[in-house]
Amino acid sequence: MADEKVKACINLHAVLRNLEDLCELDPMSREIIQGKNVALKFSMAGIPKSVITFAEGKCTAVKDDGPCSINLFFSSPQNFNLMIEGKKNPIPTRGFRHIGFLKNEFTKLADRLSYYLKPTAELLGDKEYARINTILTAYTAFFAIPEIANWDPLGQLNASRIADGAINVEVVDGPAICITAKGGRLETSKGKIANARAFMVFDSIDTASGILNGTLDSYSCIGEGRLSISGFVPMIDNLNKILAQVPGYLM
Amino acid sequence: MKTYSYPRSQEIFRRASKVIPSGIYGHLGPSQGCFIPVQAYPFFAERAKGAYFWDVDGNRFIDYMCAYGPNVLGYNDPDVDEAVSKQMAIGNCTTLPTTKMIELAELLVDTVASADWAFFAKNGGDVTSFALMTARAATNRPKVILFQGGYHGVAPWAQKLGYPGITAADTENNIYVHWNNYEEIEAAVRDNPGQIACLMATPYHHPIFEDNQLPAEGFWAKVRKLCTDNGIVLAIDDVRCGFRLDNRGSDYYYGFKADLICFCKALANGWNVSALCGTDSLKEAASAVMYTGSYWLSSAPFAAAIATVAKLRELDGAKLMLAQGKKLTEGLQEIGRAYGFDLRISGEPSMWFMRIANDDNLLLHQEWIAECVLRGAFFTNHHNLFINCAISDEDIKQTFVIAEDAFRTVKERHPEIL
Repeated sequence: MADEKVKACINLHAVLRNLEDLCELDPMSREIIQGKNVALKFSMAGIPKSVITFAEGKCTAVKDDGPCSINLFFSSPQNFNLMIEGKKNPIPTRGFRHIGFLKNEFTKLADRLSYYLKPTAELLGDKEYARINTILTAYTAFFAIPEIANWDPLGQLNASRIADGAINVEVVDGPAICITAKGGRLETSKGKIANARAFMVFDSIDTASGILNGTLDSYSCIGEGRLSISGFVPMIDNLNKILAQVPGYLM
Repeated sequence: MKTYSYPRSQEIFRRASKVIPSGIYGHLGPSQGCFIPVQAYPFFAERAKGAYFWDVDGNRFIDYMCAYGPNVLGYNDPDVDEAVSKQMAIGNCTTLPTTKMIELAELLVDTVASADWAFFAKNGGDVTSFALMTARAATNRPKVILFQGGYHGVAPWAQKLGYPGITAADTENNIYVHWNNYEEIEAAVRDNPGQIACLMATPYHHPIFEDNQLPAEGFWAKVRKLCTDNGIVLAIDDVRCGFRLDNRGSDYYYGFKADLICFCKALANGWNVSALCGTDSLKEAASAVMYTGSYWLSSAPFAAAIATVAKLRELDGAKLMLAQGKKLTEGLQEIGRAYGFDLRISGEPSMWFMRIANDDNLLLHQEWIAECVLRGAFFTNHHNLFINCAISDEDIKQTFVIAEDAFRTVKERHPEIL
């Protein structure tokens, strides 16, 4: 059974974090935040806070306890997870005058995010939809990894087996992500870095989409050269075991 | 030098992927086999003879993986195959065992220094699990001491918590210690009084991706005494090393005596049989454990094992393979050095591990290995390699030619590093 705390960490730092990229990739979302200047802080006991800022037509999500215009406090991770599932409304403890943003723009953005993260076969037939879905799904999965690695008991075990260093994950002509391991703790950042110790490369956005959406078997893709791994492979082996836990938390 | 291509292998792999999980699962597949990049490796063999195999595209390879160990005399060894043919003609999988089983047990008791009896199964993992069950039956204790990074097969207890399909209950009796760290083992024994049934270990430490480690001076003598003093069964997993260090067992090679010793890979030159050998004091416990399988008492693999062990004794196979391995690894190191590569060799020469240490991410090593495979020397980049008795000086010479061309190619690609 999914631990509510880990699930809340993933919902906050992997799923909601995607608003940053959604507002860049999706013209409709970009339109929604035009002219807005709001910073939302999500707070729960025992979980690192997040501030999602909408300003100058952009969105940035930061895992931090910075200044905000609306503070959304949740008495438990479970309550936050219920909000993500649409079963509970957020109640601000600060910034009541921005409640309109929460009810309107934020809700619309959440719907757009949900639209891209819950694909259908028909929607995936649209190339641009598939591209955005793949990028957001990949970010969700790879930003969820540190949360599982740092909070879930089995995740901690597998993370402790990952040697120190960086793993670059990249789609040819597409986005890249870097996961850094140090002393059994993991961190994800966008973009790849020089001097990584292990590498995972998808040959195309189609391959990444197929693997992430479960329509392609990753092992067969390795055999066919569509997904290549290299470098200090045990890092990737153990990372993949954490990656395999992600769907259990997102169901 | 001309390099190979594998269009047919790749085509067949696509066919396999449709009906077989992973296309090729397990250690022979491109994923677990670390085919990096996959384009450099063949996927399917068509035939094999002696020190070589030919892939489905007709490329010939000098095979330094030896089917991950079983090929010890050379593929299709005529003496082994003749023994199998003779047995097949009179019976193989039958309602009652044939006396071939006794002949093999007698031969092993006569060959393996620590063996008073032998019990047969099919794979290495069958007998490591049986060794653990026998130790538990003998001691009425639940726990086992294992070394971090050691490999004893794929039974749930032998895997790690956090791996797919493994539950906490599967591994809760495992205590992990580090290789050559006697104090850690002593502390584990002290902290678990009357709880430890078994200490299971390979004769030397041969994990994947890492330099292999030989036992430190006096290590096995101290471990042996600790086990004896505390009623712990010392089980040696000789599945990989068996008959490649000494026909009498790798415990004998390192100067100690195991209570239980597991054999598989080199036992029957590719025919499917494994064995657990043990001392008299554990014979009754082995009898008490319910352990069997449909094909475990088949006679043809017993005939193969008898012929293999007899020939290994006749040839002094372990000595021969150690010598050929030494010749090969020293030569590879020297050629690598001439091109600026720091090729590190570890483990025993008959099943050495190697890696290029100029970088810390194995990329240069993976490139060099791929270039060797493309030229007809089949190595892997993550696992120890294997020598077999059919590898000739001529094969070693040809391997040097391949290795040099591969070193040259990689160096040309990386002038900034080398």
